[in-house]
Amino acid sequence: MSVNWTRDSAAHLLRRAAFGATPSEIDDLYARGLEGAVSRLVDSESIDLTAYEASLTAKGYNLANVRGLQQWFLDRMALSPRPFEEKMTYFWNLHWTSGISKVRGTTLILNQNKTERQYAVGKFDDLVVKISQDPAELVWLDNYLNRAGRPNENYARELMELYTLGIGHYSETDVREVARALTGWTIQNYRQADNYNGATFLDNPAIHDAGSKTILGQTGNWDGMDAIRIILDHADSQGSVSGRFLSSKLWSFFAYEYPPPYIVEELRDVYVASNRSIREVVRAIFLHPEFYEAHTRKTWVRSPVEYSVASIRMVEATSDFATASSSLAGMGQVLFNPEDAKGWDWGTSWMNTGTLFARSTLANTMCTNRGSNGTRFDPNRLLAGHDSSTADEVVDVLADRLNVNDASSKIRASWVDYVNANDDGSRGTWTNTAANVDKKVRGLVHLMLTSPAFHLA
Amino acid sequence: MVISRRDFLLRTSGFVTVSAMVPRWAVDGSRLFEESIGADFANRTLVVLELAGGNDDLNTVVPYSDNLYTQMRSRIGIAPGSVLQLDGRLGLNPVMTGLKALWDHNRVALLENVGYPNSSLSHFAARDVWHTADPQLAQRNGWLGRWADRYIAGSGNPLACTAISQSLPRTLLSDSVGVPSFVNLASYQYATDGSFPGDRSNQIRTFLTQNGAEYEIENTPDALSRVAEDAIHSSDMLQTVGSGYVPGGVYPAGTLGAGLLLIAQIINANLGARILYITYGGFDNHATENSDHDPLLTNVSAGIQAFFDDLDAHGKAHDVLLMTWSEFGRRVADNGSNGTDHGTAAAHFVVGNAVRPGIYGGPPNLANLDSNGNRTIENDFRAYYGTILQDWLGADSAAILGTGYPNLGFVNRSYA
Repeated sequence: MSVNWTRDSAAHLLRRAAFGATPSEIDDLYARGLEGAVSRLVDSESIDLTAYEASLTAKGYNLANVRGLQQWFLDRMALSPRPFEEKMTYFWNLHWTSGISKVRGTTLILNQNKTERQYAVGKFDDLVVKISQDPAELVWLDNYLNRAGRPNENYARELMELYTLGIGHYSETDVREVARALTGWTIQNYRQADNYNGATFLDNPAIHDAGSKTILGQTGNWDGMDAIRIILDHADSQGSVSGRFLSSKLWSFFAYEYPPPYIVEELRDVYVASNRSIREVVRAIFLHPEFYEAHTRKTWVRSPVEYSVASIRMVEATSDFATASSSLAGMGQVLFNPEDAKGWDWGTSWMNTGTLFARSTLANTMCTNRGSNGTRFDPNRLLAGHDSSTADEVVDVLADRLNVNDASSKIRASWVDYVNANDDGSRGTWTNTAANVDKKVRGLVHLMLTSPAFHLA
Repeated sequence: MVISRRDFLLRTSGFVTVSAMVPRWAVDGSRLFEESIGADFANRTLVVLELAGGNDDLNTVVPYSDNLYTQMRSRIGIAPGSVLQLDGRLGLNPVMTGLKALWDHNRVALLENVGYPNSSLSHFAARDVWHTADPQLAQRNGWLGRWADRYIAGSGNPLACTAISQSLPRTLLSDSVGVPSFVNLASYQYATDGSFPGDRSNQIRTFLTQNGAEYEIENTPDALSRVAEDAIHSSDMLQTVGSGYVPGGVYPAGTLGAGLLLIAQIINANLGARILYITYGGFDNHATENSDHDPLLTNVSAGIQAFFDDLDAHGKAHDVLLMTWSEFGRRVADNGSNGTDHGTAAAHFVVGNAVRPGIYGGPPNLANLDSNGNRTIENDFRAYYGTILQDWLGADSAAILGTGYPNLGFVNRSYA
């Protein structure tokens, strides 16, 4: 089986490996062919960020408060020339999920985000070590208080359950012993009164439990580095446990949830053969024929963050990301502040009546912004270069723009009816006038943004 | 896979008017509900309060006369002399004066040592166990979702099960009954272009069509199609519940107080809500517990008191029962970071006029702990759920939970 590489395949890849794209970006990626397109995304270090970083700095987001941090990260996800790097950082943000409500220090959260980006596609070992020593994570799951004779199990448990192995692959004894091994990994140079800002990692031997521990069957005088190595090396009758765990989670994120066993086994083998390279596992996902099957497409429910970013990016809106960040709570995902260490559930859990209305409100705010501040787009620009003299043509142009051209004929017909409809609900006829563009193109974009075809990526 | 609309959506499509009156489907739904469950139970509402994170019940209901408590909680224990005594052995955390007042009025049942064998110490597994009432985690739907499938499906009332929550609690996940979820009614409506009010009805009609029509893409989640129609219909009904409302209680500031007020407003609007669910988080107190936990308990206690004061003032308390749950209790010994790690059995409260007041179960046995230093189970949580299903909701609890769980007797079944 090989991949049938089409323009739609490129659009699908950009919805998953990035946050959706404009028609010209899709054309560009399609022209590169499958391997070239995947490499363009996952090997993106050669794309120069200098100009983008300068423009981001010039926007002056206030990184001393969480709203500013959210705007800063949303901006990156929507506008960075390396969208896969941001998508991967976002994946780790969902995976490691330290919350500002407990961590409090915005510099800690910012630095954690930078660490996630820096190590996003490297060796999994390096990322696990960096996060286990990350001041935000040390505060978030209390390991900074974990000391010999007074162990705190919080991080040790989640390290295995949520981050590397999954439940059922370790015992309560392992939790206690890993906690002992992690004693002494703490923070220094901070004042609680300053919200832990300034904290840096400290490996303090004075509070480390130097006794013998047995972790996953191996006995020795283990420290934190040993514990992480033993956890990541852990294998059972089906091979690498962390390899299966990470492969399954990455496939669930980029393709669909509950991957079949053969997929997990293939990716586990890539993980082991590549010396636990995150990049190579992800590349294998994007090159996999199963990734491009019809039953893989339009099955991912966009998270609130992805929804906000995709809506802005795909209509090429101008944005300060202020409304997007202030709308996150109502949509159920306060970026940098998950309710617990597991973070948010994915899939249809995002969608309920309340969050659906919050999405419609956010989309409506953008679509009806006729001013010169905030998130806004020019409806005329969306039609430029296309025939738009009939309602059918208007629907086709916008459906392609928003990647909702796969909607059923019934839904498409309802959009055509909307474009033609008079205020009293009777059938009129669309004509391309400035007044109609201002009313119906804005209205149709809003409708498409609140349709299942757009909630799904 | 082609997704088709649910039957009730076909029957109600086009229903987009705003009305302050009790809608026809609420009346019809109540009648259907009454037929399926019996008139004695048809007006009853269950309020479920989830304390997310694993509430430390030993600092909530303190075994103050047990020396082991003082020894094992040397850093964060509640001073025995300060508790609000319930009997000679147990007392409430001193911040819980509101719940103590309800206790003194015989409106509280306290269940001790509730849990299940081989308790999971994972938040996430344990939470799913409590949501589904299935320690094997083989059930997809929640225990009240299964109740709703059996007794609510077909009633046509989109508010029968409602969550004051950013997300749909798995307790209410079902095959057939949608659950409106929100924390703030002001933003609970479909926004359209204010510059063209005349186009709003076109927008809403198209919104309903594009969400209700078959969406011919494989594996498309059904939830996406039905949630939009539930949203529009429930929004129409809920917009007016807060207008002119005078609370009969003093709710504490914060999300719990605001949520309980919203629940009281929905109950008083007679919209046919049967299950109202609210989550209150922050109970995972691994460190600096006293300064984090006491304010949470203050809000829980004051919130429940205000809620029942409000119901009393509106003559509605008769029809309402409130229950608490949390995914587990906490380790008996404090952990050295002035907090507690994950535990097992815990105490829970049931509040309402229909309770048989008192303490169900003995004080925690702190001398008999498992190899992790955790307590043993006395009351299975399925017996807790089953008693509520049988005696408050009038349901067949065995069909929902399975058999073998005794009725704990804390609800007065003949109450009417």
